[in-house]
Amino acid sequence: MYRLVQNEVVKMLRKKRLYIVLGILLIMISAFAYGQYHSLDRTREQLAKRIGMTDTGDWRKLAEQQIIDMKNRLDSHYMDEEHNSTTRVRMEQLQYYLDNNINPVDISGARFTTRFIEQSIYLFLPLLMILLAADMVSGELAGGTVKLLLTRGVPRWKVLLSKYIALLLLELNVVFFTLLISVAVSGIFFGYGGWTEPVATGFQVAAGKLITSNVVNVPQWQYLLMVYGLAYFVMVVVGTVSFMISVLVKSTAASIGIMLSTLVSGTFLSSFLADWTLPRYLFMVNMRLTDYISGSLRPIEGMNLTFSLTVLAAWMVAAIVVSFWYFTKRDILV
Amino acid sequence: MRDVNLSVFPAEIFGFLGANGAGKTTTIRIIAGLIKPDRGKVAIGGFSLDHDFIKAMSQVGCIIESPDMYKFLTGMENLQQLAAMSSRVTQQRLDEVVEMVGLKHRINDRVDTYSLGMKQRLGIAQAVMGRPRLLILDEPANGLDPAGIAELRQLLRRLAYEEDMAVLVSSHILAEVQQMCDTVAIISKGVVLKTLKVKELGNDVVVEWQVDKPLLAIELLKGNWDIAAEQTRKNRVKAVIERVMVEDINQTFINEGLRLAYCEAHGSTLEDLFLNLTGGVEIV
Repeated sequence: MYRLVQNEVVKMLRKKRLYIVLGILLIMISAFAYGQYHSLDRTREQLAKRIGMTDTGDWRKLAEQQIIDMKNRLDSHYMDEEHNSTTRVRMEQLQYYLDNNINPVDISGARFTTRFIEQSIYLFLPLLMILLAADMVSGELAGGTVKLLLTRGVPRWKVLLSKYIALLLLELNVVFFTLLISVAVSGIFFGYGGWTEPVATGFQVAAGKLITSNVVNVPQWQYLLMVYGLAYFVMVVVGTVSFMISVLVKSTAASIGIMLSTLVSGTFLSSFLADWTLPRYLFMVNMRLTDYISGSLRPIEGMNLTFSLTVLAAWMVAAIVVSFWYFTKRDILV
Repeated sequence: MRDVNLSVFPAEIFGFLGANGAGKTTTIRIIAGLIKPDRGKVAIGGFSLDHDFIKAMSQVGCIIESPDMYKFLTGMENLQQLAAMSSRVTQQRLDEVVEMVGLKHRINDRVDTYSLGMKQRLGIAQAVMGRPRLLILDEPANGLDPAGIAELRQLLRRLAYEEDMAVLVSSHILAEVQQMCDTVAIISKGVVLKTLKVKELGNDVVVEWQVDKPLLAIELLKGNWDIAAEQTRKNRVKAVIERVMVEDINQTFINEGLRLAYCEAHGSTLEDLFLNLTGGVEIV
């Protein structure tokens, strides 16, 4: 079994897909870091101009001004209720930071590394996973090489399992490199510190109000590990579903296409979640796990971390069952 | 596919002959466990494919349909990948088979730079490297140059007669099968029409008579020897018979009052037999 997994990893590396994925990561992280750096500068400048502040180094003043801005926006009658509830939650959160003397404005390398995952967990990272997983089986079917694997005195389930394990390992690698690249690149812009800064987590939303009674402050590095752990879980789930599609269809292009449209549909189905309960059982609307712990999620009654984790786990198990069932039964006609 | 009953024995090269679409590859896929048949069973070296898949397939080396390999790996890396899937194959054995199929100089190049003939050689290398008891080669001569085909023939003979392998070769090229194989099964439209020893082929001849009463001649052949004959042209009758019977038949024709203008015997080749049995090469 070890040698089978080794085979799969060798094939993956030689196909150069992993390097493409890592290259994309490097470019995106650099762009994101530059963007963050730039917009932080701009925010400071604008606020300073409006309130006539010369010293923009004091984050408390900036935060206070942001709260005032949000209050004004809430009073405006042009905003709908949905938008308002998001703003209200964000405002209360900012207030909490002020009260507890936690700086939410400045960005350190460590905070950027966390934020990158929060921003990419529901679309960008899953897309990369699809690139890796989508041709794992369909590639062998399209190339005819599956015949070599299945006529060797190795049972089919073992062949498939070795591929799945290789995929899990590669996903772990991608998460690890995301972390590594983020830290390295963001350090250039924001410095390499901030690992022990406190981060507030455990916000809960009930009836559109933020509940801070369960909030705890954890050091940034601990929070970062939590976020990356959740990201790995999401990637495994997306990878597993993508793996299943690659077992079911013969062409890699079709396999990537199906997964892409599924993911994209998730982003617009999300907007119906408050009124329509059915979509919330789909895996692609449950991928913003980090928003639950950072408290930045648009509050939806009945959806919380446990719910989303359960839905994702159920999809993963189902995808594994379907993959193995179909692969061990199917006729190979290539 | 129906009523396919084949046995391949050790030290035998078994040819599987059929037109395109006759069911050769489908049969081979069933033997190699890639397709589950609706009915019937396959046993390899005494192990049933249904119940002892691993033991059965461990004794098989095969190329099915085309010698597909990982294009982004070198020839040697391909072999190493596949060698890792069975415990018997060492690096020394790999070098040995590479030498055997004549790929030594290009084995460290990527497969996407290979010609079809070279891929075929690599395919043969991966099929034989585990010293299988049953070697299945689907159209192995495709893409090989004449020298390559001659080498392949020698290689298969060596594997069969010296290493006691049972070799199953499918082909649509008659001459190749006749030259290469000991036994031939002819398949058409999913049915095995005839299995015969290639050595015995010369015993049958196709004979054509020109007589004045062709229908009577056909009747006589049917009645006396149970031979199916057919009228080809106005006064001509054609049948496949054993060579030694020609004189008897001619005597009988004359005795029965037929005017025999002439009689022509073609030495029966596999081609005559094949066309006779399948009624032309029509793709189903």
